[in-house]
Amino acid sequence: MPRHKNDILQGTLVLLVLKTLAAQGRMHGYAITSHIQRASADLLRVEEGSLYPALHRMAQDGWLKAEWGTTEKNREAKFYAITPAGRKQLELEEESWTRLRTGVTRVLRYA
Amino acid sequence: MSWLGRLKNHLRQSALSKEIAREMRFHLAEREDDLVARGMMPDAARREARRRFGSLAYQGELTRERNLFAWLDSVVTDVRYALRALGAAPAFTTVAVLSLALGIGANTAIFSVIDALVLKSLPVSHPEELVSVLHDTDNPIFTNPLWEAIRDREDMFSGIFAYGTTSFNLTSGGEAQRVEGNTVSGDYFATLGVRPVAGRLVDKKDDYRGCPGLVVLSEGFWDTRYSGDPGAIGKTLSLDGHPFQIIGVADGRFSGLSVGERPQLFVPICSEKIIMGANSQLDERSSWYLQITGRPRPGLTATQVNARLATLAPGIVAATIPPNWPADALAHYRKTTFTIGDGSKGFSFTRMMYEKALYILMAIVGLVLLIACANVANLLLARAAVRQREMAVRLALGAARGRLVRQLITESLLLSSFGAMLGIAFAIWGSRGLVRLLSSGERSIALDLGIDSRVLVFTIFVATLTGLLFGLVPAWRAGRVDPQSAMKAHGRGVTEGHSRFRMGKALVAIQVAMSLVLIVGAALLIGSWRRLTTEDPGFQRRGILLVHADFQNINIPRDQRLIFSEQLLNAVQSLPGVQSASGSQITPVGNNTWNDVFRTEAFTAKSEDDATSWVNPVSDGYFRTLGIPVLAGRDFDQRDSPVAPRVAIVNEAMAKHFFGSPAALGRHFQRQEGSSWSAPIEVVGIVGTTKYHSMRDSAQPIVYFPRSQLSPEAQQMSIEIRTSGMPTGLVPTVTKAITKVNPRITLDITTLEQQVSESLALARAIATLSGFFGALAMVLATIGLYGIMTYTVARRRNEIGVRIALGAEQARVVRMVLGEVLAIVIVGVVLGVALSVGTTRLATAFLYGVRPTDPATLTAAVVVLTAVGVAAAALPAWRASRLDPVAALREE
Repeated sequence: MPRHKNDILQGTLVLLVLKTLAAQGRMHGYAITSHIQRASADLLRVEEGSLYPALHRMAQDGWLKAEWGTTEKNREAKFYAITPAGRKQLELEEESWTRLRTGVTRVLRYA
Repeated sequence: MSWLGRLKNHLRQSALSKEIAREMRFHLAEREDDLVARGMMPDAARREARRRFGSLAYQGELTRERNLFAWLDSVVTDVRYALRALGAAPAFTTVAVLSLALGIGANTAIFSVIDALVLKSLPVSHPEELVSVLHDTDNPIFTNPLWEAIRDREDMFSGIFAYGTTSFNLTSGGEAQRVEGNTVSGDYFATLGVRPVAGRLVDKKDDYRGCPGLVVLSEGFWDTRYSGDPGAIGKTLSLDGHPFQIIGVADGRFSGLSVGERPQLFVPICSEKIIMGANSQLDERSSWYLQITGRPRPGLTATQVNARLATLAPGIVAATIPPNWPADALAHYRKTTFTIGDGSKGFSFTRMMYEKALYILMAIVGLVLLIACANVANLLLARAAVRQREMAVRLALGAARGRLVRQLITESLLLSSFGAMLGIAFAIWGSRGLVRLLSSGERSIALDLGIDSRVLVFTIFVATLTGLLFGLVPAWRAGRVDPQSAMKAHGRGVTEGHSRFRMGKALVAIQVAMSLVLIVGAALLIGSWRRLTTEDPGFQRRGILLVHADFQNINIPRDQRLIFSEQLLNAVQSLPGVQSASGSQITPVGNNTWNDVFRTEAFTAKSEDDATSWVNPVSDGYFRTLGIPVLAGRDFDQRDSPVAPRVAIVNEAMAKHFFGSPAALGRHFQRQEGSSWSAPIEVVGIVGTTKYHSMRDSAQPIVYFPRSQLSPEAQQMSIEIRTSGMPTGLVPTVTKAITKVNPRITLDITTLEQQVSESLALARAIATLSGFFGALAMVLATIGLYGIMTYTVARRRNEIGVRIALGAEQARVVRMVLGEVLAIVIVGVVLGVALSVGTTRLATAFLYGVRPTDPATLTAAVVVLTAVGVAAAALPAWRASRLDPVAALREE
């Protein structure tokens, strides 16, 4: 499948999800997608097919806790919330993202 | 990865996929709503939602090959492909499945009989704890005094009991109606953990001297005779003319401890006195008829129990010293030892009788299965050649070799499982037939032949093994195909590569070898049986009715019994249709025997066996009735009264053995009676030598005494009646005449011919089965030969076409093909003769009048097999010679 231009860079999905949940509290998967898209002013788009397996992995790693609930539209959905371990992970991810961005920016500027 | 790991992975992942799928549905629904809200048509919105989701991208997240599902999936694909491949070759599939079904079915059938008779534990609680008590290392039979002495002294069993097998007559006079039964001691049912389905069972308090007649019914007997009516409890049943009160019914799953028999009635040992009266064996120290089984206390080892038995032995022996035994026998008795052995499978005469025969049959059907395997392997090899291009194409398209091999093995296993399924049906039918065939004698065998888990495991094991056996080599070869050369070689070569042929021919040669073993075996066994049935037993077996009369119930005073039995004989002798009649204690080739130790001045015995002769007390007219020639002297007559000097008639074998010459008339010998010797007995007649116990007897010594002198007080007598017409036609007349003398006489009636034929039931069964399987083996080997030759000719069409085109004559082509077959057959036959010589002696016990390596039999089998082999190749050879060379060459 050809990569969408504004697909999220691999490895940053976790960071974005954790950040979103840390800021917004309890959300379901679709809301996470919409939030990221909105917050990035449509610059970023989550590849929907890989979001859910990623959420699962994160839940398994203990960064998120997940539970089934119903939405306002009375649909069944799984709601995710960040855990303390998730917040710690978020810090690490933010740090490494900063490092990466700095590094990439330097290369772009001085190479 | 282990099965378990795969399974865990699978379970976890399928749960995971379900969760994710559920979430995705929600996601798609939300996305759709959004899109619709922005003005898209619902259908388009749904498609767009799906498109954005990126189809089944999540699957990449799952580990693929580790997934059981994927693995099973590939198996299913293999099976489906194999089914299609087999379906595309119906003739091949049918022949393969049928021959495997026969092979596997025959093996399963014999195994299920072995399982039921030899391997299965008794259907009682914790059979593995049961031990049987033995004396003198391996003898399981005890006297009642011995049993009581052991019972009263032992302290290492939580339960111990004795039992004897017997039969009861349900009628009280006239022709007997016998049912099998057990005499049991008080703890029999309690120790075995058998429960009543109605009433109660015999227990400890029923077992005392002078006990009343109580009987427990088997569930089967209760069902057939009383239709399972609980009202039967408390009723009276007449056993051998004596009333026994029914106290209960034993659980039908229990069928006694003698596998192969099915006792219908159980009575306390003590109640034997009611039936036997003065002949009771309860205090007889030389009547061996009980077996002892017990359950050692928990925690006791066999060594401990044996040690305890060893310390108890002197006391047990001292309390049971038999009176009137010769000194050396007594000395031996004093040294009797007691030990325990495995009791989990009970003790079975049926097992002893048939176990060896069953193993021989197992070996036979094992060989048949191997031959069938070779056939299928050959068919597969031929198929592999045809499918070589298919394989080459698949390889060229990138199929893994391992995958191809797996595919072919799947096909083989599928074939063998179909064979096994059909085979099990065949086995259920076959095992019943086998038991019927074996029990066509007087002993009817009752076995629980249900296909249990052990039989199923056996069948699955055999099927898998056969599948691999015939499938591995062809599969391995197919995997080695080189796609390039296989594609190139197509049709162009003048002859095929010879290696595949060599393999196929080797297989057929092995088939021929194994068939030869089976044919030789069958010929030996059938020949033995024919010899047994046609050999002159020394008496005339046709036209003789045997009537066993038992008048114990009448309580005739001792001094009148001889007169009474003479009355019976007179009543029969005067009947129309009776040519002559006589009385005896033993009938030829029957179930009873009698032997004694004798001495003469002319003879020094090397051992007690050497001094032993068969004995039969007979009335006058016995030899005339049975057609036994009187060679010298006279028959018994009025002179030989109970008080007259003792006389005897001996057969020629006896005269030769004990007197060193057939001319023994007028000479004397002595019979051992208790611990002393009898007065001299004069030989007043010499008769021809006859079979006594079995048709397999060699010329064995027999001493005939006048009934009047040796057993005038017997309460039973066998009557031999020579009839002018069919013996069975006289049954009603004879029964009426005898019951007119006294209605309470019990009669068992058969014919001498029937008795002889029943004694040969096992020989007949083995001969029939070995003949059947020998023929089957030959048919399979013939198909193998025919197949390989047809295939060879087909593959060599070009070559043969060229030869014919170049002027080879038809006869030459025929010779060429036949020569090839002959080569295979000769290799097979040489191998087979070697195998036969090595293996047929295993059947020695079943042979009669022939050595296992009989050269005539071997030669005949070789000739027959060679002839059949050449005949099998005649059709392909003829076809080859009629080949149109133009057509054959143009075909390319």
